[in-house]
Amino acid sequence: MSAHAVSMRDALYEAPGPKTRRRTVIGTVVSIVALVALLILVVRQFYVTGQLDARYWSFLAEWTTWRFLLEGFWGTIKVALIAGVIAIALGLLLMLGRISSNKVLSFACHAITDVFRSLPSLLLIYFFFLVVPTYGIRMPAFWMLTIPVALAASGVLAEVFRAGVNAVPKGQVEAAMSIGLTHGKIVRIIVLPQALRIVIPSLVSQLVVVVKDTTVAYVVSYPDLMQNARVLISNYDALVSMYLVVAVIYILVNYAVNQLSIALARRNDAPLITRSTENPT
Amino acid sequence: MGVLDVFTEFGEVYLQSLLSTWLMTVVCFLGGLAMGILVTVMRVSPIKPLRVVGDVYVQIFRNIPTVSLLVIFVYALPYLGLLLEYRTCLVVCVILVVSSFASENFMSGINAIGVGQIEAARAIGLSFVQIVRLIVIPQALRTTVLPMTNLLIATLLTTALGSQVPLTPPELTGMVNYVNSRSVAGISAFVVSAICYAGTSLVLGFLGNKLDKKVRIVR
Repeated sequence: MSAHAVSMRDALYEAPGPKTRRRTVIGTVVSIVALVALLILVVRQFYVTGQLDARYWSFLAEWTTWRFLLEGFWGTIKVALIAGVIAIALGLLLMLGRISSNKVLSFACHAITDVFRSLPSLLLIYFFFLVVPTYGIRMPAFWMLTIPVALAASGVLAEVFRAGVNAVPKGQVEAAMSIGLTHGKIVRIIVLPQALRIVIPSLVSQLVVVVKDTTVAYVVSYPDLMQNARVLISNYDALVSMYLVVAVIYILVNYAVNQLSIALARRNDAPLITRSTENPT
Repeated sequence: MGVLDVFTEFGEVYLQSLLSTWLMTVVCFLGGLAMGILVTVMRVSPIKPLRVVGDVYVQIFRNIPTVSLLVIFVYALPYLGLLLEYRTCLVVCVILVVSSFASENFMSGINAIGVGQIEAARAIGLSFVQIVRLIVIPQALRTTVLPMTNLLIATLLTTALGSQVPLTPPELTGMVNYVNSRSVAGISAFVVSAICYAGTSLVLGFLGNKLDKKVRIVR
């Protein structure tokens, strides 16, 4: 996303003269002092409240802790990947329906896409957790989490796919029409293969949203990373350290996925289409 | 229970929860914008440590699941001697997350301007302040209308996490729980909340799109 960040940031400033250089040095020193002071304040607060005690952190040195967290993480991966696959398939179908020449199908797919895009995944989870069972349908916790997360993502992905289709040059479609290919054939052999290549980095970056959405797995008591961390908290009575560690794990994982999508986008020379870049209507 | 029955029995609470969701969305979005501007200024400043802090800030808050941040604020901070109200926790968490995305939007708005324009501005003798005021900020604002509209809608959806902490009145997602624990509403409570969310997003998206068409820079 911020591929050219450095060049543009630096372009704003002229080569500094002696006065500016001095001012920059002073600013640098002051900000470093302020940051160190802030850090000391935070660590001191941990120390004063006893949160640095060994008993709150020692359980992190045990293998069983990490094995349990890894089991939870595996649960997170399973939900995220399967929800991702379902969302890709559904998103693709919704997009194909929307660009089809059948007006009714097109309108329906457009409406479904917009609805899924504009509902919080948590509301959809509550639908599958609270509402569906009242109609006598029993679902395992895994699906009560995976399906709503997939549905929420499918709306966004349908728009990502559509942006990919729009990125294929119009001239190619016209050329295909002029040699007599049908609408279906044009989509299948000309547009889709290229559109799919364009959206691959964007699909990867959408995985971050899916992983984030799975963190409310405890609502349906599905054992994911967060839920297993909550179990460990009640076992070891080490709430602060555990929640911080879990947050760091999530940040690192999502950061890695984000970097992967940026690298893919740069290699394919494709734009990253995310929720924030697409058209809201 | 039909949708209409839900309205007659819980109409007032629903209205309150819709207003509460809207209010939280506005507060979180404006707070996120303000914080995002601050972080962006840090990221483009010539002072290296501030740049690094800004970059790290954005990476942390755009990658952390908001739930994970919320449990830290609600359950962990009291152990560290900081006890905040539930609503305050929620608003602060959403602001932190929204500000990181807002800063990313501003940065890509700035990056889209292109180095050439800055060089041209300098060549005709504009000062740094003039460059920022006349060249950078107007263009960056105009290119970020659409991303910021999407961010506003995302903020609306993120406030659904309010259902994870006790709030009075509950926000729209918490209402599904609220109604279902007091009567057998079935799908109706869900439908009412869904309509409120979808309707709000639709209007916001429409307005943002209109504004974007007016101010968009065709490159």
